[in-house]
Amino acid sequence: MSHQGLSSQTIAVVGGGISGITTALEAAEAGYDVVLLERSPSLGGRVAQLNRYFPKLCHPTCGLEINYQRIKKNRRIKVYTMATVANVAGSRGDFTLTVTLSPRHVKTTCTACGDCAAAAETTVANPFNYGLDQLKAAYLPHEMAFPMRYVVAPQVIGTPEGERIKAACKYDAIDLDEQESSFELKAGAIVWATGWQPYDAGRITPYHYDESPDIVTNVEMERLAAHDGPTKGKILRPSTGEPPKRVALIQCAGSRDYNHLPYCSRICCLASMKHAAYLREQYADVEVDIYYIDIRAHDKLENFYKKLRNDPQVRWIKSKPASIVPGPDGVPLVCGENTLTREIYRTPYDMVVLAVGMQPSTAAGRPAMDVPMDEYGFIVPEGSDGGLMSAGVASGPLDVSMSVQSATAAALKAIQAVSGRARP
Amino acid sequence: MTATSPTPRKKYDLNFARWVYENVDGGDRMAKCMQCGTCSGSCPIGDQMDYGPRKLFMMIRAGMKEAVLTSNTIWNCVSCYNCVVRCPRQVPVTYILHDLAALAVKEGYAEAKTADNARFAKAFWWSAQKWGRTDERLVTMKYYFSTGIGDGIKKGMANQKIAMAMVKTKRMHLTMPHKVKGTKELQAILAKAHEIEERGNNGQ
Repeated sequence: MSHQGLSSQTIAVVGGGISGITTALEAAEAGYDVVLLERSPSLGGRVAQLNRYFPKLCHPTCGLEINYQRIKKNRRIKVYTMATVANVAGSRGDFTLTVTLSPRHVKTTCTACGDCAAAAETTVANPFNYGLDQLKAAYLPHEMAFPMRYVVAPQVIGTPEGERIKAACKYDAIDLDEQESSFELKAGAIVWATGWQPYDAGRITPYHYDESPDIVTNVEMERLAAHDGPTKGKILRPSTGEPPKRVALIQCAGSRDYNHLPYCSRICCLASMKHAAYLREQYADVEVDIYYIDIRAHDKLENFYKKLRNDPQVRWIKSKPASIVPGPDGVPLVCGENTLTREIYRTPYDMVVLAVGMQPSTAAGRPAMDVPMDEYGFIVPEGSDGGLMSAGVASGPLDVSMSVQSATAAALKAIQAVSGRARP
Repeated sequence: MTATSPTPRKKYDLNFARWVYENVDGGDRMAKCMQCGTCSGSCPIGDQMDYGPRKLFMMIRAGMKEAVLTSNTIWNCVSCYNCVVRCPRQVPVTYILHDLAALAVKEGYAEAKTADNARFAKAFWWSAQKWGRTDERLVTMKYYFSTGIGDGIKKGMANQKIAMAMVKTKRMHLTMPHKVKGTKELQAILAKAHEIEERGNNGQ
């Protein structure tokens, strides 16, 4: 392969979710060197946090396991977790990335036996379960963590508890003195697969998300339904721990809204229908009301919608609720106008699930370089010098299968860029 | 706002909608309405409106001029701005309703005798332009007697207790009306504004 004046043919992939993993694998299996950088302690991203995903409602553990096996078998992929890109210099064929590594305090000799967690007493909010439960300060990020290695939280570093955690490890895998470090990485192309975050429901002030534990978001609902979630897969009303009898699913919570996210995130309608299906599977008597502006069941999943439409215990209410207020005894009341009947409703529910949209991760912190973005913060580098690509939800709201397609396309573009065939 | 809106020639006439988009305050944003119902659901007196803003906007789109300009929705808005703040399409619902009410008066749809809020608005305006202030006692009186002397006395008597309580707590006074310093200048400003509006209406 000719280098054509390119000083590096390595492809740097920023973000280790399903899109970053896919880009890295497709490029590496085509014979290119790839460095995959992930900010959190494990690969898997948002997909790992789903209970089940479309199109076949599989558990994501299966898809991730296949991908992890592919990574393990491929010598061309180098994975860094707890890694962030602090700076990028250069251009196509000659990028220099400054990568910062946060201390994990656990070395590669970790066998994930869990003795350190048993020795820990301090607890920290569990980011994997969106803070719905607590974790020990020495923890495995989740059951499907890759790499399968524990993490020691910074809260216990420099404390006697930290020393006890270190002493509990039979393999001497804990390094309490590990410091933040950084290194420089040469790359010919950079793929941004930085993904998304759920829109902050607390910002939708009329919905009072922060004032009632029974008002949850769609991503939290995934965790409540997951076997490794805070309720071990049983969907329970957070305030009482009882099975819910009536549940409201609220579409477009902060989406298609100029005051919040002006765009449609495309995935939420089917995600909420999936939540209705979870509920109906678990409870024969549960009643589910879906509040919507329009149902946008994209792709080949119209049948899923039709099937649910025939379920007499699932009601469809064409209305964007005006407000959700904690009523007497904290029971959330969903208020608004039914736009088909003009009825003004005020309906109590055991649980309310807000279908919040996907906000690009760039909303939380801009990328380390001036990468072209659209008005919403999605990365759209087309038209730059050909050395930058975006993959998955970093490029726009997509579901998992579309993210994988987008990531495969990004891998091809990256290969073209580092082999000198890119057309700027 | 030009003098009159087009009168529909058939049941559904789009010319009225187009006219509203171009001439009513905030009408240009009304085209963005996606019929989600947030406005009508947010309205504190939504159950006392015949249509509510969402349905009214759809009726405008359908060209139902007669029904729109005779609806009570345009008069019952209390300007709380809940709908304006919450509208996901940033439609200034309150402005549109108020301007439609003004249009209804101008085109003779809202007869002072039929639209209660129109009569109140008239009394309010009478006080504001005369003294530059609203005088609670005189506005109330003007409003009460707008439907005839007998009816005015009846309404006054019914609210006597409240009035006395207000006088007692100094929320209402019985002396000369409150007014601004330069009422003459104020009236000159208003006359000029009226002249400018008329000039605009005549297409000059």
